[in-house]
Amino acid sequence: MSGAWWDAVVQAGAVRASFVPPAAEGRAADPDREVSLADVVEGDELGIHAVTPRPAPRAVTFLDGIEQWKVVGYDGVTPLVRARVAVAARRRAGDRRLATLAEDSRDFAVVPLDQLSPSCRAALQASDADVVDLREAPAGQPGAALDLARRAVDTARAELEKAIGEECAAGLGPDEWLVVDGLLSVSTVLARHPRVLGVIKSHGAQFFEGRHLERALTLPAAHRTSVFRVRGGHARTEVYSWYLRLWPWEGNDLLYGLVRVEAAPGAGALAGADAVSGWLARERAPLSTPDARFDRLLYPIHDVEQYLRARAPRDFFPGARTRLPRTGT
Amino acid sequence: MIDTPHRTPVGRVVATELKPATPHQFNFWTAVETAIGIGAIVKVEGGGAGDGERVVFGVVTDAVAYSDLQTPLHDVIGAEGDPSRAAESATVRQEIRLWTAAVLRQEPEEPLQPVPLAEVFVATDADVARALRMETYLHSALPTAIPVGLYTSGGLESPVYLDAEFLLGPEAAHLNISGVSGLATKTSAVEFLLSSIFQTFPAHRGKVAAVCFNVKGPDLCFLDRPGALDDEDRRRYQRLGLEAQPFERVRYFAPFKADGVNLNTLRTHPDLVHDVEPLVWGLAEVLDFAEVLLNRDDIDAKADAFIDFLADRVMGRKFDDGFGGEHEVRSFADLDRLFRAIFDGLEAAGGGRGDMWRTHHIATIRKVRNRLSNISTRCKGLVTDDGQPNDLPWGKFEDRTVYVVDLANVDPLGQDLVFARVVSKLREHLEKQSLGVGTVAVFVDELNKYAPADGPETYVKKMLLDISERGRYLGLVLFGAEQFRSQVHRRVVGNAGTQVFGRMDSDELATPGYQVLSPATKIKLATLPVGELMVRHPHFTQPIFVRFPRPAVLRGRDGIERFPPVPDLAFEDAIARQLVGLDRRVKPNQVKDLIADREEEDVRRALAETRRKRAEDPFAYFRKALGGRVRPQAPRERDGVPPLNPISDEPY
Repeated sequence: MSGAWWDAVVQAGAVRASFVPPAAEGRAADPDREVSLADVVEGDELGIHAVTPRPAPRAVTFLDGIEQWKVVGYDGVTPLVRARVAVAARRRAGDRRLATLAEDSRDFAVVPLDQLSPSCRAALQASDADVVDLREAPAGQPGAALDLARRAVDTARAELEKAIGEECAAGLGPDEWLVVDGLLSVSTVLARHPRVLGVIKSHGAQFFEGRHLERALTLPAAHRTSVFRVRGGHARTEVYSWYLRLWPWEGNDLLYGLVRVEAAPGAGALAGADAVSGWLARERAPLSTPDARFDRLLYPIHDVEQYLRARAPRDFFPGARTRLPRTGT
Repeated sequence: MIDTPHRTPVGRVVATELKPATPHQFNFWTAVETAIGIGAIVKVEGGGAGDGERVVFGVVTDAVAYSDLQTPLHDVIGAEGDPSRAAESATVRQEIRLWTAAVLRQEPEEPLQPVPLAEVFVATDADVARALRMETYLHSALPTAIPVGLYTSGGLESPVYLDAEFLLGPEAAHLNISGVSGLATKTSAVEFLLSSIFQTFPAHRGKVAAVCFNVKGPDLCFLDRPGALDDEDRRRYQRLGLEAQPFERVRYFAPFKADGVNLNTLRTHPDLVHDVEPLVWGLAEVLDFAEVLLNRDDIDAKADAFIDFLADRVMGRKFDDGFGGEHEVRSFADLDRLFRAIFDGLEAAGGGRGDMWRTHHIATIRKVRNRLSNISTRCKGLVTDDGQPNDLPWGKFEDRTVYVVDLANVDPLGQDLVFARVVSKLREHLEKQSLGVGTVAVFVDELNKYAPADGPETYVKKMLLDISERGRYLGLVLFGAEQFRSQVHRRVVGNAGTQVFGRMDSDELATPGYQVLSPATKIKLATLPVGELMVRHPHFTQPIFVRFPRPAVLRGRDGIERFPPVPDLAFEDAIARQLVGLDRRVKPNQVKDLIADREEEDVRRALAETRRKRAEDPFAYFRKALGGRVRPQAPRERDGVPPLNPISDEPY
C-alpha cells in the first residue's frame, strides 16, 4: 500500500521492519487465571445433566472477530505496530448456509507517541492514521511495548465485537438467536438479551473448587452442568452460565470438548438450558478442522473467522519470504 | 432470449501459482447455485490493473467442487459414523464451485495475454456471436450463416451459426457426425441441418442440392412428410429463424426387387409409391465402375486392362470376335453372348495360343465375366440384363432438392456400385459445371463400414477419400455419419471442417482422438440427451454444445406406422401401378389386359422405355413399345428317324 503511514514514518527516519510476533498470530488466551465467584442456581449443588441433541433455531447469527498486528518499523528501539481488527456477524437461516449480516473493521497504528522522535511523530500525525497511543509503555523496552500493543489490539477487537453484537442483538427477530464467540458479560446489552448466548472456549477463569470443579471438568460427553450465576472477576455484568461437553475428554485432556455457555440471567436461562445445550451439541458437526481448537470451536464461528481472514489484507500474514539477511546488505 | 446484457457477474476469475490464468485457460468461481454448466459460454470483463479494456470469452470445460473439509474422516467423525446424521448438521459447510474455461476469443487479440482476474458474466446473444467469431459471416454484406442450433445455458439460449463457406466449401467443407446408434440423433441432425441449409443458403452462393444414401431401414423415406413437433420445437425453429416444414422437393430412387417390377424400398404405400423412381442400370452404367466389383484378390492390371478393352472397343459398337462372329454389345445379355463366342472360339481353335484372345488370357476373361455376371445376379433389380436404364437426373439437378437413393435392402456389392457411380457422376458433372446445381451435399451413413480406418482399400473408400480431399473445390461435400469416429479413416474425418458429436460411447471417448476433451466434456458427451450436439467448426476455437429442434419431417419409424409398406404385388398389378404412377388416367385393368400372356421381359422393357421417354400419353407409348402380340406357332411335327440298327436280343 503506497502512501501508508508507515511509509511516511520510515521516510521521516524510522527503520523499516516486518515482524509478526508469535503473540500476534491469533487471539490471546484469557490471561486471567483467577477463581471467580459463582452461585449454583439450578439445584442445591453443581449437578450433571444429560443433553439430548435438538434442532437449532430457525435463524441464528454468529459473531466473532479477528485481530492482526505486526511491527512495521522501529524508531530507535520503539516499535511501530500496524494493527487491524475485524468483526463479522453471519446469519444462518433455512438453507443452513451462513451469510454475512454485519461486519466492520479498523486499521490503526499502535505506538507510544511520546517516545517517537519529533520527525517520526510529525510524519505519523500528518498521515491521518488512526493511532492508539501506548502511553504506559516503558521507554526503551520494546518487549514491554509489544506486550502492551497486544493488549491494545485485543481491546480494540473486543470493542468492535461489542458494537456489532449490540447492533445485531437489536435487530434480532422474535425467534432468532445470536451466538457470540467469547464472554457475554462484556456488554450489558448482550448479557441481558434473552436470545443471546456467549460460547467460551478458553477456561482461564475457574468458578469452582473441589468436587464441583472436578464435576465440571470431568463432565461426560453430551452432558452439561447445572446453571450457575457468574459474578465478579472479569465479568462486568452478571450472567448465568453452565459447562457443556461436546466431545469425550477421555484420552485427551480435561478441557477437550468443553465449552462454557453464558446467557442472560433469569428463569429463561434455567428453563432453556437443556434446549440450548441440545442445540449446541448438534453444532459440533461439521467439525471445524483444521483449526486446532475444533473440539470446542463451533463450525459457524470457525466460518466467521475464515470469512474475516479471507477478507483481510494479505500483507498481514507472515509470508513465505525468508528472514535470512538479504544479500548485499 | 438473451439480447439484453446481464450485467450482474456470475463469477470471478481466480488464479494461483498452481492454477494460474493463462492466455488459453482460466478458472473462476461462482455461487453454489448457478446457471453455469459444462459448455456454458462466459465473458470476462472489467479486469484488474491494466486489463480494463480486455474482454475474454471462454467456454466452460471442467469444474470442481469442494468444501473446507480437511479429510473425509472428519465428516465421519462429525456424523459419528452415521451418514444419515451428516445431513442433520445445523450448518452446511462452505463449498466452492470452481470452473475451468477454455478461451474462445480475446479482444484485443494482440498482444495475447493471460486472462485478467476479473468478473465473469454469462454471454448474451451478441457475446456468443463475438465469442464464436460469427459476426464475420452473420452480419457481413453477403452473409453466409447457416443456423445449426441453439446454444443454451441456464435457461438462456442463443442461435449458433455455421459459415456456409466452411461447411459447403470452398474455404473448408464436409461435415462428420458421430454418435451411438439408436437415438436417431445423427440422422435427425443431418435432416435438420439440410433443412437449415436449404432455407438459408445464400442466393449469391448459387444452387444447392443433397444426395442422401438411405442404407438402413426407413430413415430417409419420408422427408417430404411433416413429422410431429411440439411447441418447444416450434419455438426453437422460430428462434433460429427457420420454418418448421418438411422438404419441399424430394425425389426418391430405389432399385427394383429381383422380380424387376416391385420397388425395393419401404416407401411402397399406395399414397407414396408413385413418386419413387426406379433406379435401373444396364451394362454401360456398370462397366465404367467395374473396379468396384473386383475384390482385393482381383485387383490386377490384367483385369483392369480387359475391362478397359471392353469399355473402349466393344461397348456400343459393332465388333468382330475374331472367330467370324459380329457383336454389338449393349447389354449384359449381349456381353454374355460375346463371352460365349470367345470361349467357344478358343476351344475350337485348340492348340497353339488357345488360351489367349486379343492378348487377354482366358482366365482373365473368365474372371471378368464371372464378376460382371455376378453383379447382374446379386443386384438383379438394380442391374438389368437386357433393358432400359433409369438413372438420377444428371444435368437436371434442381435447387434445394433432396435426392434420396434407397439402398437399404440392396446387396452390399450393389450398394458399393451405386455409391461409386453416383458420386463419380456427381463429380464428373460438377467438374463440368453441368449438374444443374453448384453444390451437392452427399449424406453417407455408416462410414465405419464404407471408410474404415483399417481394412482393404476398396473403391468406395478411395472415392470417399477423394471427396474428402478434393470435393470442396468442386462443390461436392460429404456429410458423413458413423458410430465410432476413431474407426473411420483419419483422412475422411480429418478433412471434415465441421465435426458434430452426439451421445458417445464411453469406450469410444477413451480413444486417443478425444484426448483434447476434458473429462467433464467427455461425461457430458456420454450423457447427451437426444437433440443436443457438440459442434466443432473452423471459426470456433473450442467445441460448442447446441440444441436443435426435431426435424420437421416424418421419422422413419413413424412413417412406417403411418404409411405401412404394402406386400409385393403380382407382376400385372405392379406394372399397372407403375403406369398409373406415370399417368393417373391409366386404368389398371386396361394394363392388365394388354400385358396378359406377354413375356415379362418384354413388358419390363416396354415399361422402362415408357418411363425413359416420359411421353405425354404413357399408356399409348407403353402399348406401342410393347408391340403387337405374336401368336405362338405350333412346332412343326418332325418325321421320326429310324434307328440305325434294329434292336435284337443278341447280347453281343
